[in-house]
Amino acid sequence: MKKMIISVLGKDRPGIIAAVTHILFEQDCNIENVSQTILQNEFSGIFIVGIPKTLSEDELHRHLDAGLSPMGLHVYEKQLSEADETQTAVESEPFVVVTKGPDRKGLVASITAIMAAHRVNVTNLQALFKGGDDPNANIMIYEVDIPSDANQQTLRRDLRETALALSLDISIQHKLIFEAINRV
Amino acid sequence: MFSEREILSVVEMLKNENLDVRTVTLGLNLLDCASDDIGRFTDNIYTRITGAAKNLVKICDEVGDKYGIPVVNKRISVSPIAVAAAPFNAQQMLSVAETLNEAAGAAHVDFIGGFSALVEKGIARGDRALIEALPEALTGTQRVCASVNVASTRAGINIDAVLLMGKTIKEAARLTADRDGLACAKLCVFANIPQDIPFMAGAYLGVGEADAVINVGVSGPGVVKKAIDRATVSNPDLNLGQISEIIKHTAYKVTRIGELIGRDVAQRLGIKFGVVDLSLAPTPNVGDSVGEIFQSLGLASIGVPGSTVALALLNDAVKKGGAFASSKVGGLSGAFIPVSEDLNISQAAAQGHLSIEKLEAMTCVCSVGLDMVAIPGDTSGETLAAIIADEMAIGVINKKTTATRLIPVPGKKAGDHAFFGGLLGESIIMPVNNATGENRFLRRGGLIPSPIHSLVN
Repeated sequence: MKKMIISVLGKDRPGIIAAVTHILFEQDCNIENVSQTILQNEFSGIFIVGIPKTLSEDELHRHLDAGLSPMGLHVYEKQLSEADETQTAVESEPFVVVTKGPDRKGLVASITAIMAAHRVNVTNLQALFKGGDDPNANIMIYEVDIPSDANQQTLRRDLRETALALSLDISIQHKLIFEAINRV
Repeated sequence: MFSEREILSVVEMLKNENLDVRTVTLGLNLLDCASDDIGRFTDNIYTRITGAAKNLVKICDEVGDKYGIPVVNKRISVSPIAVAAAPFNAQQMLSVAETLNEAAGAAHVDFIGGFSALVEKGIARGDRALIEALPEALTGTQRVCASVNVASTRAGINIDAVLLMGKTIKEAARLTADRDGLACAKLCVFANIPQDIPFMAGAYLGVGEADAVINVGVSGPGVVKKAIDRATVSNPDLNLGQISEIIKHTAYKVTRIGELIGRDVAQRLGIKFGVVDLSLAPTPNVGDSVGEIFQSLGLASIGVPGSTVALALLNDAVKKGGAFASSKVGGLSGAFIPVSEDLNISQAAAQGHLSIEKLEAMTCVCSVGLDMVAIPGDTSGETLAAIIADEMAIGVINKKTTATRLIPVPGKKAGDHAFFGGLLGESIIMPVNNATGENRFLRRGGLIPSPIHSLVN
């Protein structure tokens, strides 16, 4: 069985997951992972599926597109190579980075540039900008993995300096704190 | 993945509400350092303490950095010296105190507790030598803290020991007259002392404990106050049952962090994790006060009518939240009301809202007792002993820990100001009823029997 990753994008409405999975079922595909999210009114879903050897990528695309484009949905597929699966995980510590501050363009780009330079991987990002200067209306929450061999002090310093330049209030906390407090 | 609300509430708590781990205390058993040769004994305990505590401060700082939550105090508690050093006389006890002081300095900790004796049923030779040495030991050292347990629910109250402590405190104050009787700030007299207190000055490692343990004291009066303030702003009509729930939830969060950090420190040191002490321990800083909580609850000041019931609510809610959050709870676990160490409480005393009698009443429902109370320097030894005995009775009858840390400030009278410095703070000197008088009741001495446990009224 080959593995494919399928992404579906479009205006949210009831029945999207049902439509996608119905097509996959008809084509004898096996779903391994699904994640979906809705931002404002837009739906985005990612599916990792095993597909039978007899089914080509083109055929799968035709079936999905035929079923989903009438619903106004865009679909994209890519075959997963074995290298993708065997990629070794870097030893890291999980942290949560939170910023609050006045809205402006380039906030996410500035913060993530520092993270990328320190090989910090963003595992989850929630960002909400309602605009304006109210700090509580403009919040970014990054869940990140910081490599164990990264220089934490420089990373923290760089993040704080960047945040200061953007008038952002930044907090960098170990994820275990949030787990200890919020999970029984 | 956490919700936005979960994350933001934690960040708020860490950033603006003085949340920290108040103390990580390394408890060390010194009983196997025994020797009847004073030189060998002091060598043994110095080696033991400096060896075991070598990395304590470094590791606490590393763990504090990792979580972004400071471990404010790193401390050491040891086996009661009156037991560990039982063969020695008072003069030799002084060199034990000096050794403890040096060992604490070498380990970079600010206090070492355990210069202690347990005399609730009788005073043994080692106990008497230690108590005799106390005034000089506490005057000549900076880091050594002492405690004497003079009463317990099972043994009763040893009034002979209480009288002895009255005299001892007077002498300790006299020897440190130039520092407002500072030696007394490092001396607690207890009923029902727990074996695993991480907080000074009462910390010692009980004889029922293992070779080494890490005990953690959480704090967070600021966090509790802000939680109450936030809740009452968004809903001014909250009733006391609802406020109790808010305090309980907050205590849960604070305690979870204490346990997380304590366990990490213990693991890195390779030492068993002992207990979390769920206490609200104030410092003399605005926003880190137990007294301020009373005002958030709606009282004009700590000390006015309603304070005892408010403290009962607070103390109980802290215990309930904390007990669920931690796998092992111990120590004093409750709210502290140390007068000089809490800016708001010392102001309440200065403004006349808080009397020593009201403080005593409040100790019936909180975790410690008459703590860091500055009283007139001419208070007699007998009156001091009588105040101690009253406080011990509350502990013994109610099956709880109580303690006193009284400072008769030499040369000063009620209304004057005493200054102790640092975490010990400063305070107005509180008036004492019959301060200079005699007390023929107490002078009779002897042992007040342990109370009956049925006919509970």
